[in-house]
Amino acid sequence: MKEQDPKLIKKRFLKELKDVKTSEEKKKICKKYLEEDLSSVFSSFKNLPAAEKARVGRGANELKQLLLTKMEMVKETEKEETGWLDVTLPGKEPILGNIHPLTQMQKKCEDIFSKMGFVTIEGPELENEWYNFDALNVKEDHPAREMQDTLFVKQKGREGLTSKEKLLMRTQTSAVQVRYMEKNKPPLRVIVPGRVFRNEATDNSHEINFYQLEGLMVGEDVSVANFKAIIGSFFQNLFATDVEIRLRPSYFPFTEPSFEVDVSCSICKKKGCSACQRTGWIEVMGAGMVHPNVLQSAKIDTSKFTGFAFGGGVDRLAMIKHEINDIRLFYGGDLRFLKQF
Amino acid sequence: MRFSYNFLQSFFRKKLPPPEELADKLMMHFFEVEEIEKLRGDTVIDIDVLPSRAADCFSHIGIAREISAITGMKYEKPQIRLKEGRREISDLINVTVKAACLRYTLRAVEGVKVKSSPPYIQKILKSCGIKPINNIVDITNYVMLETGQPLHAFDGEKIEGGKIVVRFAKKREKIVTLDEKRYELNDNIMVIADELSPLGIAGIKGGIVPEVDKSTNIVLLEAGNFDSKTIRKASQHLKLRTDASLRFEHGVPVEFTKEAVGRAVSLITSIAGGKALKGEVDYCQEKRKMKEVTFKAEEVRDILGVEISLKEIERILRSLEFKTKRNGNFFHIEVPYFRTDVSLKEDVIEEVGRIYGYANIKPVVPKAEITSQEESLSLKMESACRKLLCSIGFTETYNYSFINDKVASVFEYENLIEMEKPVSLEYKYLRPSLLPGLIDNIRKNEKNFEDIKIFEIGKVFSSLEDEKEKKKISGISSPADFYDLKGRINAFLEKILVPNVSYSPAPKDSFLDPYCSAEIFSGDDVIGVIGEIPPRVRKEMDIKKRTVFFEIDFAKIILLAKSVKTYDPISRFPFMTRDLAVLVPRKTTYKEVLREVKNAGGVLLRKTELFDVYEGESIPEGKKNFAFRLFFQAKNKTLSSEEANKLQEKIIKALDDKSEWKVRK
Repeated sequence: MKEQDPKLIKKRFLKELKDVKTSEEKKKICKKYLEEDLSSVFSSFKNLPAAEKARVGRGANELKQLLLTKMEMVKETEKEETGWLDVTLPGKEPILGNIHPLTQMQKKCEDIFSKMGFVTIEGPELENEWYNFDALNVKEDHPAREMQDTLFVKQKGREGLTSKEKLLMRTQTSAVQVRYMEKNKPPLRVIVPGRVFRNEATDNSHEINFYQLEGLMVGEDVSVANFKAIIGSFFQNLFATDVEIRLRPSYFPFTEPSFEVDVSCSICKKKGCSACQRTGWIEVMGAGMVHPNVLQSAKIDTSKFTGFAFGGGVDRLAMIKHEINDIRLFYGGDLRFLKQF
Repeated sequence: MRFSYNFLQSFFRKKLPPPEELADKLMMHFFEVEEIEKLRGDTVIDIDVLPSRAADCFSHIGIAREISAITGMKYEKPQIRLKEGRREISDLINVTVKAACLRYTLRAVEGVKVKSSPPYIQKILKSCGIKPINNIVDITNYVMLETGQPLHAFDGEKIEGGKIVVRFAKKREKIVTLDEKRYELNDNIMVIADELSPLGIAGIKGGIVPEVDKSTNIVLLEAGNFDSKTIRKASQHLKLRTDASLRFEHGVPVEFTKEAVGRAVSLITSIAGGKALKGEVDYCQEKRKMKEVTFKAEEVRDILGVEISLKEIERILRSLEFKTKRNGNFFHIEVPYFRTDVSLKEDVIEEVGRIYGYANIKPVVPKAEITSQEESLSLKMESACRKLLCSIGFTETYNYSFINDKVASVFEYENLIEMEKPVSLEYKYLRPSLLPGLIDNIRKNEKNFEDIKIFEIGKVFSSLEDEKEKKKISGISSPADFYDLKGRINAFLEKILVPNVSYSPAPKDSFLDPYCSAEIFSGDDVIGVIGEIPPRVRKEMDIKKRTVFFEIDFAKIILLAKSVKTYDPISRFPFMTRDLAVLVPRKTTYKEVLREVKNAGGVLLRKTELFDVYEGESIPEGKKNFAFRLFFQAKNKTLSSEEANKLQEKIIKALDDKSEWKVRK
């Protein structure tokens, strides 16, 4: 006499099914249970006491459902075998463009600063001497006007023009500082990414045009210590959480005090490698406390407000980040380069 | 600038830290050290002294003072011992100063023996890149390295008429310098002359005539101070840069001359023998006023963001030779004469900060209010455009902002902005369009890529007053497929919510191929162009495949693009569709036909689809056929078949009314 309890039959069925490999055998087992075991349960059903009928009936139905599902599943695997795909063949890709590595770096910087409350703004590339030099405390005769080779615009009777009329290609995004502060009063926090120009021969680390990222924070009691916090957090977000920064004294006409910002080399962890010229540190920015003359150019009350400003090359950051050895690749338009980003 | 470690050591009794350690300290508290070079018996530390500190630190004393302030080690200036004879200098020489000379100090030594200088002096000169000549000349250079004051020595017996005149040169006046080179001067260049001719180019280089040599008995020692701009211009004009001109260009404190001459005389009498003549010539235009600065200790804290004790502030400033008086929290500072860079309290606070050490300032997160300023619309849009163009297959490039003469003439550009003395003629003009750069990208990539789609967002320039600088979005696609590009750009414009975009044939004078180019409109505003590069341009720019290009004015997009999309309720009622074919002359545009269809269809014509354009067999010559599918739909009810037919009839009639148009039935 066969086993009559659907629960036990189910258990036995699942075990038998598990023990065989091929779909042929599995099918045979399903068939056997459907035709023999299940029908014997049903045929013995009428002899059961009324109290048992409900329980066994429910179990028998569940068992039937299971047997049918399993049968179906086995049949499906058979079908799949005939409709086999080589899933390792290449897919059909839509052609997507690539965003320039400098845009990507710029965006990354903007995102980090944006979280610290800095707003991104822009300014003109074709600038006048006043915003690029005079307003930034770079006087007519200042050596800094020679330190950077400036691209001046050819203008008739240039000598007779005022510095607001004399045009040039901005040599630094700092030119936007006073433009912005004339229209916006402190407290303010901005960054200015943009293209700048130098009239110098090009090589693997110099270009006639390149990108800078300028930052400016002005408010009550903004200090060097604040700058260290902001810039440290920026580079940790940009490069790696264990990156250190250090400030070294420097000189810029538009900041006082002025410093160079170095970050610890994230490639060699300060041990010294070719990327950092064996020093463990990479110079990435110029910075300082905004010179009172610059604040005064924008008619900001220097007895009340102080601020810091910083500026660095976006190209350089991208070169460090992606280990690119020639700045000219950014402006060469070679798709073999651009398609990598 | 090169500094000799041994020379620096000579100012200190205690031993200096080893060169590497010293360089590190200088780097963190002064300026960048570019290189440490080991020589036999000396080490050279190459320090990048920036222009602000040229006045006091283009000298070993200046650097020694810094080292002293940083390390706390005491430094001592060398002693000056003058042995003067009875003969008065005025018996020998008479000096007249006429030019842009701020100070002129002169002493004389008689009875010198000219020979080579002691080895320690020669070694230091060599470390600093100066060739030893003889004891007199070497001492002048040595004192310059020590003090920062350039000096010059003449043979006192080679001067005509017992007169020295400091004046501007005459036009075409000539001089042969010590290195036997001939220079023609002009009236912007200063000279030191005797009664007859120039003895030297002031502040730049000595002449050969009064050269000190073996036979010299009387030496005149001059320390001048010349206007920095005049020296800079003269040096540029003559293409002659010397250790002296470098210092004068950056400005040397006028107070230096007297001490430097004294120091040189004292060294000469002890090394080359002889006696100084009594007295000195000292012309001084005007004495500078002592600079004074006052500030409160709190201001140091506010700017640096760290609490530095009053005592430490005082120590630092005194170590840099600032005279410091304090009244409670008030500091009253007298700036030493050699610190031409310091005049504001911020300058003084910088001194405190850098000597204290920026490394000792702990980062403090700023207290700042939350600002609600939003990123500019323009930048947001730019970013959105980039992403979209990228998603429709375009890769972003950055090209130069400049074009050369050839490009200017190929594209027949006008109103270009020209650069003054660019390093290369490749950068002669500012680009008036992004097209030349993109075409060049095609040229470079053609050999490596079958299918090229690139774009650039950048500034273009024109000398026209109201559009000097404009931002454009441009792209180029090769091989050319006008409708493919148009489709992509149209999708792009729709996505950035530019309303009512349409296209019209470009004017005949377009820079693109007039037969396959269009102006892009939003409503009635032209926002850009799209079309094929003319064959002539392709040939001259050396690109092989046919290429299509678009350019969109960014400012127009900002102006016109909607910022918010308004929901158009979805009708519950079904579309009724009708097809319609119309024959029109070949050069009638789709746009014209569509306008008629839409006008006649009214609001119930929800959309149209052009599913075929045909010309050729079975169609009259000079004609083409447009096949439209019309979708009618009402917002409030299901249209009946009759209503749809009526609307279709109305459209057919409108089209048939146009001359030469014929709806096919």
